Amino acid sequence: MNGKERIMTALEIREADRVPLYIHGINEEPIIGIGRHLTDGLPEPKKFYQMNDQEKMKLLDTLFLIHDEFDVDGITSFEIAHEKELDEKHVTDDWNVMYTRSPHGLPVATGHPLKNAEDLKTYTPPEPKAEHLLLLNLARDRFKDNKACFWLMRGAYVLSWRLVGMENLMLKMFDDPEFVHQVANMTMEFNLKQLELLVQAGLDVLVIEDDIADKNSTIISPLQFQEFVNPYNRKLVDRAHDLGLKVVRHSDGNLWPILDLLIETGYDGLNPLEPQADMGMKKVKEYCGDKLCLLGNIDCVNLLPYGTEEEVDLAVKKTIEDGGKGGGLIICSSNSLHPGVKPENCIAMFEATRKYGQYELR
Amino acid sequence: MEILDQISDFIQQGNMDEVARLTNSTIEQNISPQDIIDKGLVSGMGIIGEKFKNNEVFVPEMLIAARAMNKALEILEPEMINADIKSAGTLVIGSVEGDLHDIGKNLVGIMFKGAGFKIIDLGVDVSADRFIKTAKENTADFIGLSALLTTTMTNMEDTIKGLKAENLSIKVLVGGAPLTEKFAREIEADGYAPDAASAVGVARSLLTS
Repeated sequence: MNGKERIMTALEIREADRVPLYIHGINEEPIIGIGRHLTDGLPEPKKFYQMNDQEKMKLLDTLFLIHDEFDVDGITSFEIAHEKELDEKHVTDDWNVMYTRSPHGLPVATGHPLKNAEDLKTYTPPEPKAEHLLLLNLARDRFKDNKACFWLMRGAYVLSWRLVGMENLMLKMFDDPEFVHQVANMTMEFNLKQLELLVQAGLDVLVIEDDIADKNSTIISPLQFQEFVNPYNRKLVDRAHDLGLKVVRHSDGNLWPILDLLIETGYDGLNPLEPQADMGMKKVKEYCGDKLCLLGNIDCVNLLPYGTEEEVDLAVKKTIEDGGKGGGLIICSSNSLHPGVKPENCIAMFEATRKYGQYELR
Repeated sequence: MEILDQISDFIQQGNMDEVARLTNSTIEQNISPQDIIDKGLVSGMGIIGEKFKNNEVFVPEMLIAARAMNKALEILEPEMINADIKSAGTLVIGSVEGDLHDIGKNLVGIMFKGAGFKIIDLGVDVSADRFIKTAKENTADFIGLSALLTTTMTNMEDTIKGLKAENLSIKVLVGGAPLTEKFAREIEADGYAPDAASAVGVARSLLTS
């Protein structure tokens, strides 16, 4: 089996030849740190926007090399080139949301163009553009059909709060629910159009990335989720299925209050299963492992930054024992491989997946 | 007193207009601002905070409750100055240097304000020096340090070391998604709360210890 076949089999909750491996997200620092075990000529760790063109190409090539050398079965892509630099610390995207850059990870949305329904009257949402899919095109060219191509698409909640401001959005759920629906619908329309472009570009797996929970519970109530968020994401799921894609739901945090609803919505997989948020593999597998493929669970909060390679090896072994039976497991860290993870621990995770992930020969 | 119970109920429902109307009535009835705060606002915020802790209500419900409480405090402000009302304590709060996330920190601020504390919110990406300087200037009882990221939580220690270097006895409370009690002990924080709703209890126990 090749990587794509392995991933697609796992998403159908069947056993492949071995448990597949996936990197959901990875920052520049771990690409460079892991890459140094494979290649020379990498720059000192810095952010992508601080690199010259040659360094950017090297970084991208190293990312692909990591996927090849460590048999990572799926490759993640996301929109690029849709942002404009305002100054060294700030960028805006094509929705006119402003972000503050952080040396510790992804930029954080700090400027929100829609305060209320009045703002919406004069607001024009962006149109999805094929050139923003460059990363997917490059991945598809490089790996052909040998690896599954994943795409991270922000869902209705994240796009809405970026546009409106998180606390303002929550207040508007009480003060002006129609406005919240209009914004969510607008984001969905954009995503549906982008989905058509993604299929033309050869996508295999859509990841609806819509963080909705912290480690204790959902941030908004299950009823608010059911009213303001899930119907819009459900349309993406349905359309993606019509187009022949698999769909994975990504959200940090404790998803137990809405897990039944997510299952019922028809997702094929769930990511990233944070152990700290009561999303341990054994418990989730027992509850819904026959309905959802589970991607994640290798702790990136404590284990990958501070643990030993032996501890990582054991964690992967345990996760495969708890979640591998019958298929429907893809090994992945419990969130992005962020700037704080030890490169050697990431490599230990990759190698342990190969070591313990073999299903019996058939 | 029935009207104070009603204020407590409307705080829990986040009904700002009713809270404002009833708060104005209490002033006309010459009810002491301390009673309005303790039996109306703090009571209402305490009950909804407990429900939040038990996952019975969620962040949006806390935000509208806090908005109603803030409206009442705004109306009461002149009365509080006249009556020389003392806060339960002063907390300087912020997300640590490098961290731009604020929702968790804001919730902790709401919980403390709802418990009668004075809050000085320094926002996000706050340096250790700024925490210490602000706490000294305001004779704060507590500094609350928040971090969402594994890579920023290590900056918490700078504030604790800075306070020690100046021999200041201001207590430091820490919290945030990647933190553990063990980490809090290692950096010698005075208190750790696993969630926003527990933080006030931790602070109160430090005040009485």
